[in-house]
Amino acid sequence: MSTTRDLVRDERDQYAFHDDIVYLRETKRGLTRETVEEISRFKDEPDWMLQFRLRAYDHFVKRKMPTWGGRLADIDFDKIVYYRKPSEREEKSWDDVPEQIKATFEKLGIPEAERKFLAGVGAQYDSEVVYHSVREELSKIGVVFMGTDQALKEYPEIFRKYFGTVVPPEDNKFAALNSAVWSGGSFVYVPKGVEVPLPLQAYFRINGENTGQFERTLIVVDEGAKVHYIEGCTAPIYATDSLHAAVVEVIALAGSKVRYTTIQNWSNDVYNLVTKRAHAHANSTVEWVDANTGSRLTMKYPAIYLRGEGARAEVISVAVAGKGQHQDTGAKAVHLAPNTTSRIVSKSVSKDGGRATYRGQLKVAPGATGVTASVRCDALMLDDQSRSDTYPYIDIAEDDTTMTHEATVGKISADQVFYLMSRGLTENEAQNLIIQGFLEVFTKELPMEYAIEFNRLVKLEMEGSLG
Amino acid sequence: MTEAADTSIAARPARAPRRAPDDLPFTFVDAALLAGIEAARGEPDWLREDRAAALARFESLAVEANRLYTPYVDLRAASLDGAPPYLATGDAVAADKTEADDAISGEIELAEDAVAIATIEPAAAAAGVRLMTLGELVRRDPDLARRLLVDDPVLPANDKLAWLGRAAWTQGVVLHVPAGVRIERPVVLRWAVGAARTLIGRTLIVLEEGAEASVVEELVASGRAEPGAQALLSLTTEIRLGAHARLALGSLQETGPDQVVFQQRVARLGEAADLRWALAQLGARLVRSRVDNVLAGDRSVVEQVEIVFGAGEQLHDLTSYTRHVGRDTTGQLLSKGVLLDKARAYMKGLITIDKTAIGTDSFLGEFGMNLSKAARSVAIPSLEIDQPDCRRAAHSSSVGPIDEAQLFYLESRGIPPDEARKFIVLGFLEPVVARVPLEEARDRLREALEVKWAAGTGSAGAAGAVAATAA
Repeated sequence: MSTTRDLVRDERDQYAFHDDIVYLRETKRGLTRETVEEISRFKDEPDWMLQFRLRAYDHFVKRKMPTWGGRLADIDFDKIVYYRKPSEREEKSWDDVPEQIKATFEKLGIPEAERKFLAGVGAQYDSEVVYHSVREELSKIGVVFMGTDQALKEYPEIFRKYFGTVVPPEDNKFAALNSAVWSGGSFVYVPKGVEVPLPLQAYFRINGENTGQFERTLIVVDEGAKVHYIEGCTAPIYATDSLHAAVVEVIALAGSKVRYTTIQNWSNDVYNLVTKRAHAHANSTVEWVDANTGSRLTMKYPAIYLRGEGARAEVISVAVAGKGQHQDTGAKAVHLAPNTTSRIVSKSVSKDGGRATYRGQLKVAPGATGVTASVRCDALMLDDQSRSDTYPYIDIAEDDTTMTHEATVGKISADQVFYLMSRGLTENEAQNLIIQGFLEVFTKELPMEYAIEFNRLVKLEMEGSLG
Repeated sequence: MTEAADTSIAARPARAPRRAPDDLPFTFVDAALLAGIEAARGEPDWLREDRAAALARFESLAVEANRLYTPYVDLRAASLDGAPPYLATGDAVAADKTEADDAISGEIELAEDAVAIATIEPAAAAAGVRLMTLGELVRRDPDLARRLLVDDPVLPANDKLAWLGRAAWTQGVVLHVPAGVRIERPVVLRWAVGAARTLIGRTLIVLEEGAEASVVEELVASGRAEPGAQALLSLTTEIRLGAHARLALGSLQETGPDQVVFQQRVARLGEAADLRWALAQLGARLVRSRVDNVLAGDRSVVEQVEIVFGAGEQLHDLTSYTRHVGRDTTGQLLSKGVLLDKARAYMKGLITIDKTAIGTDSFLGEFGMNLSKAARSVAIPSLEIDQPDCRRAAHSSSVGPIDEAQLFYLESRGIPPDEARKFIVLGFLEPVVARVPLEEARDRLREALEVKWAAGTGSAGAAGAVAATAA
């Protein structure tokens, strides 16, 4: 492939936006024990949560920075504002949301999406959930969908029972950071046997230079229940670095089914360091559907611990790494119980000097008999300035596991392009079509309007030559 | 509760500090060891200086240089301070052991610190082939020795144990084949170890432009082992292939149950050079092996096939790096492991395709068969790619039990289940056996695999029978 041709241009900054918001409350830059106490005081939290935060803070201070993965040396923890509150209270109705914030959401099309298709909206503006609604039918059948802070107050028993059990603060440095300063995020509880008919969705945004966003999402799906949760992210462009360190905990109780879909499109200055993990109990199914197109560096490996017999795990992970980006993503399946199955599919595209890394782990523990697992990683490199890495870890300690792993890396096939051009497509159209086909394993899993949004994102990435 | 716990900790008698998995299992490598080697061997200044520089490098490095693999290093099964290194080693040969063998072109057998056999066929010697111990080369041809040992280094900068070999070798072999010379029959290099000592060796195989050779390396038990007393063999092998040179190298590791083996192998390939590895790991309590293939020359080819057959509590820790630098190079790498009992195998592989390596064809496969519930296999087949314009860049991996369909087929042909299982397992490992470039060695390897299978099926067969009943 020619290195001189301007194959892809990044034009996303044309679509970025930033509103001047008056923050009602914010902490000083930098992180101290006092900052943590102050956040907890702002939120008027029970003492056990303050103790949890302080325990996490202590671990964060002790824990060394990871030396693997992407480049983290440029993160300056002292420059970050750890908590910002843009409005005083959570809103139940769209009409009550302040005009300026509403205008921002209008640009993102959230009310539109809600009116037309979606069951509930929890939109996060910086560090606090400002708008939340759940359709009446869902409330009636007992589905809880609200901001995590609110849930701590309104559902203290179930909250305390599960919070921090899937991702303990000591898991890694960024989980510790999140546990110390978390704010916002979604809480979902689906009662026994309830199937939520439409996806629940939440928009997360960072607005505000050097704002760290540390949302904490907890999803508990009771026995035999079923839910699909969707999150999408956008953020304005800034010159200095923002940090997004989220923790997502999913508990899928016996016989339940959970799908968690993410479209990550942070701007190119964001460090996106996320710990996502699910516990899958007997005969439950957990699916992570995860796309990463934005951020400067993403390190995210959605994990499923298969704890109950017959549990199933599926991860579909898609990454597009453009100029200045490193997508260090992957998946983790840990088989702890007999007759569990997992399937991991990863697709990445790297271009304009971007770097796409697949990093995954498949582990079969002693006692997990009859496991079936597969891992498939494919990477497309659009030019020779870019880089693609594949690091799968496969660790099997049983004698009847059936595990297969395949990986390929390559460029767009000249034969395919030639064939499509012979059918009347331009070269750019042909390449775009091939990339769309390459990523289809992901897009076909999305609800329709998300599939459209994702295709638009990819097209933006490819704008200028492929579109 | 807390107080009680504290008391019990305080009351516990003092223990030796726990060893980390990547702590070296010996403390005897230092400047004093080099002084001892120098005093015993009387070597030229250039070699002493090179040893000292290599020791400094050794001391500066971590056992596992690659962050990818730090969770998968475990040297705790080795404890070697009771196995002091040999300082002086022989390089003279007893005259009555130099008779020729029709099947081979040359043979060197190093038994502990002595040279048991050193022979080369007259035709090869006349063509300028050198096959001798390193000590002898240093004495007889210091200029060539200096060029091979010091001036043209191929050791990976970050391989600590390779630099151990360069710093502290006391025994070694050189096979040097001049340009255009083809050695008809295999050369055998045999290391027999087992006494409670440490032997640090260095092997150099240099094929100049257009040269051809095949080598069979055998690591065997010397019969001088003392039960329960550990021994170390650390072997660093450096291979340089000139343009169009061809080398086939088969290696059989079947040392004794108390042996620790460190193997560091590095090969640099010139234009259109061709290297075929066939590596079999059967013996030892702990093996840590690293192979580096550097495909520097355009159109160079490496094929590397490696098998592990582990039983008991053996740990085989194998890493393979293949770096594509030249254009249109080919890498074909295959690792297979069969594990019985509590055996562990770590198969770590990394293919790197440099930006210059247009037209690369590279494949890495890692396949495991756990035949026991307590066995554990780890596969990490990785890719780092800077040049997408390649013929192929892929890896594949699988772990599974014995294929029931194959078993059923064989049983339907009247083969008893135990026999059928043996056929399937040995067939799984056959790709390496078939590539060993010497019939006698192939037969020995097949026999060794069968013996190990027979010894291991006490437990594996029982587990299989249970599985079959359950099915």
